[in-house]
Amino acid sequence: MNKPSTQQAVLVYLLLAVVLIVFLTPIYIIVSSSIKPSPIMFQKPPAMIFEPTMDHYVALFTDRPFAKFIGNSLIVALGSTAFSLTFGSLAAYAISRIKHKRMGDVAFWILSMRMFPPIAVVVPYYIIFKTVGLLDTPFALILIYSTANIPLTTWLMKGFFDEVPTALEEAAAVDGYGLLETFWRVTLPLAAPGLAVSAVFCFIFSWNEFIFALMLTGSKAQTATVAVMSFWSSDAVQWGRIMAGSFIILIPGVIFVLTCQRWLVRGLTMGSVK
Amino acid sequence: MSSIQLKNVIKRYGQVEVVHGVDLDIEEGEFVVLLGPSGCGKTTTLRMVAGLEDVSDGELSIGGAVVNDVAPKNRGVAMVFQNYALYPHMTVRKNMEFALRPMKLDASEVERRIADTAEILGLGDLLERRPSQLSGGQRQRVAMGRAMVRTPDVFLFDEPLSNLDAKLRTQVRWEIGKLHKRLGTTVLYVTHDQVEAMTLADKIVIMRDGYIEQVGSPEEVFAHPRNTFVATFIGSPAMNMIPAVVDNDRLVGDHVNLPLPERHKAKAAQGMKVQVGIRPTEVSLVDAGEPDAVEASVVVTEYLGNQALLDIRVGTQELIAEVPAAERPGEDARIHVRFNPDALHLFDSETGISINA
Repeated sequence: MNKPSTQQAVLVYLLLAVVLIVFLTPIYIIVSSSIKPSPIMFQKPPAMIFEPTMDHYVALFTDRPFAKFIGNSLIVALGSTAFSLTFGSLAAYAISRIKHKRMGDVAFWILSMRMFPPIAVVVPYYIIFKTVGLLDTPFALILIYSTANIPLTTWLMKGFFDEVPTALEEAAAVDGYGLLETFWRVTLPLAAPGLAVSAVFCFIFSWNEFIFALMLTGSKAQTATVAVMSFWSSDAVQWGRIMAGSFIILIPGVIFVLTCQRWLVRGLTMGSVK
Repeated sequence: MSSIQLKNVIKRYGQVEVVHGVDLDIEEGEFVVLLGPSGCGKTTTLRMVAGLEDVSDGELSIGGAVVNDVAPKNRGVAMVFQNYALYPHMTVRKNMEFALRPMKLDASEVERRIADTAEILGLGDLLERRPSQLSGGQRQRVAMGRAMVRTPDVFLFDEPLSNLDAKLRTQVRWEIGKLHKRLGTTVLYVTHDQVEAMTLADKIVIMRDGYIEQVGSPEEVFAHPRNTFVATFIGSPAMNMIPAVVDNDRLVGDHVNLPLPERHKAKAAQGMKVQVGIRPTEVSLVDAGEPDAVEASVVVTEYLGNQALLDIRVGTQELIAEVPAAERPGEDARIHVRFNPDALHLFDSETGISINA
C-alpha cells in the first residue's frame, strides 16, 4: 500500500476530530458542569476557567440516598444480565441443535419480541405488577428487561453455538458426559466470546433503561437513571446534581465493558478440528 | 475387550432407509474395517455402534448385552473422530483428563494412565500444549491418546487418517496396527481407503448403498470377491471386466476367446452370459503365436518405476495391464496379451455375483 499523502492524512485527522467533538462534547459538558459552581453554570460565553467544586457530588449523596439507587441499578442490571444469559443461552442452544423445519419460525418468534414498542405495554405491566404485588421491586424490572434481553442473547448466542462443531459434543458424549454437562463444559466455554458480547448488551440496556424504571418503581426500587431526573422538579432544576449523577452513571458501563473486553477475543476454537 | 453383534440393523432418516438390515459379528479383539465408497452407510453404522445415531430397527449388542437404547457413555466404547474433535480450550493433558473424569479414578491413577499413554504415543513433550499448537499428525495421536486412556472395550475409528498427508498416513497406519497388537482391544474402523483396510484388518466388511457386499479376511476379499462390485473395488488398478458368453468350454467375447477354467466348469452352463474378471497383474505380454493370445493395441502407458500400467484396447473395450516396466511397449503399438487362466473370475452378467459364490 502506498503511504498516504499529507493531504489524505490531514483529511483523515480532520474527520476524526469532527467525530471526536460530536461524541465528547456532551461528556465534556457533563463533567465540567458537575464541578462548576452553580452561579456560573449558564454563563455566556461558558466559563472555561473556574475553581472546581465537589459540592454537587456531596449534595447528591447527602440529600438523597443516591448510593442506594446505584445499588438498585446494579441489582437490576446484573440480575437481568444473569437471567438473560442463562435462559437466552439455553434457548439459543436448543435452536442451534434441534433440527426441525419449524425451528426457524420459533427463532423468528423470539426475535419478534424485540420489535414490540415497549411504551405500548407500560400500563398493562403496571396493572399486572400492582396486582401480583411486585410494583416497586427490582425483580419486576429484572423480568421486564429480560423480555428484551433474552431475544437478543438468543440470537447472538445461536450464531456462536452454530460455530461449535457437533463432533466435540459427540466426543464428550462418548467420553461419558450427559447433555447438560457437555453443554456446560464443552459448548459454553467455546462460545464464551458470545457470552461476553451478550453480557455487555444486556447490562448496558438494563443499566440505561428509563421508561419502565420511571413507571414501575417508587422510592424503594428506584434506579439511578430515574433518581437523576428527580432533581428536575416543577419548582427548580438542580443542574449541578443532575450532571454529577449523570457522570457517576456513566462509570459502571465503562468498567463493565472493559472487564468483558478480554473475553471478546475470537479464535478460541481454532485448531479444534481441521 | 468386547464382541459386537449387529442383527438386521436398519437406519432410517424419516422415510429414507440408508442402512438396510446389516448382520455382522465382530469377535473379541478383532480388527474389523468397514470399507466402501462415500455414502455406503459405513460411518452411519459406526455411529450406531457408538450410540451417536439411533438404531431404527434390529438389534445391536456389545459384549453380549443389547445396547440399542444405551447412552454412548455407558457402552464402553471410545472413538477417534475424522476431524479429531479435540477440545480446543483444553491442553493435551486436560483433553485426556477430561475423558477420564467420568470414570472417577484416583488422581494418581489418572496421572499414571496419562503418563503411560503419553509414553506409548510419544506425547510427553506436548502435554501442556493446546490442539491449535499441534500439527495434524500430533493431533491425530492426541485423539488416539484420549481414546486410549480410558482403556475401553471397543475402539471406534472414523476415517482417522483422511486428514493426513500420504507419508504421515503410512506412518500412523503402522502405529495403529502396532497399537492393536499391543492392546488387543476390539476395533471397528471405517475407511474408504482399501490400502488401510487391507493392511490393518483381520476382517474387512465391504459396504455399498447400505448393504454389506462381502465380509472376509483381506486375502479372501481379494482372491475371492463375491461380486463385481467387490472385485472392482478391491485392488488397484481395478479388476478388468470383459463381457463374454460360455460356449463349449470357451469364454467368447468381443475379440476374446478364452479357455473356460476347470474350476468354473461345474457352474458355467452353456450359453450363460458372464463377466470375466482379470486383475491387471494377471495380464501378460506374449508373442503372437502363443495359445490363447489376444491381440490388443496400446492406448496409453504409465511408467511407475518397477512396473508400468498399459491402457490397452481389445476390440472395443479398454483394459488395464500391469507389466514389468522394462517390457513396456511404446504407445500405439500392436501387441499380444495372455490372461492367466488360473486367475479368471466369472460373474453372472445379470446378478453380478460370482458363479462360485
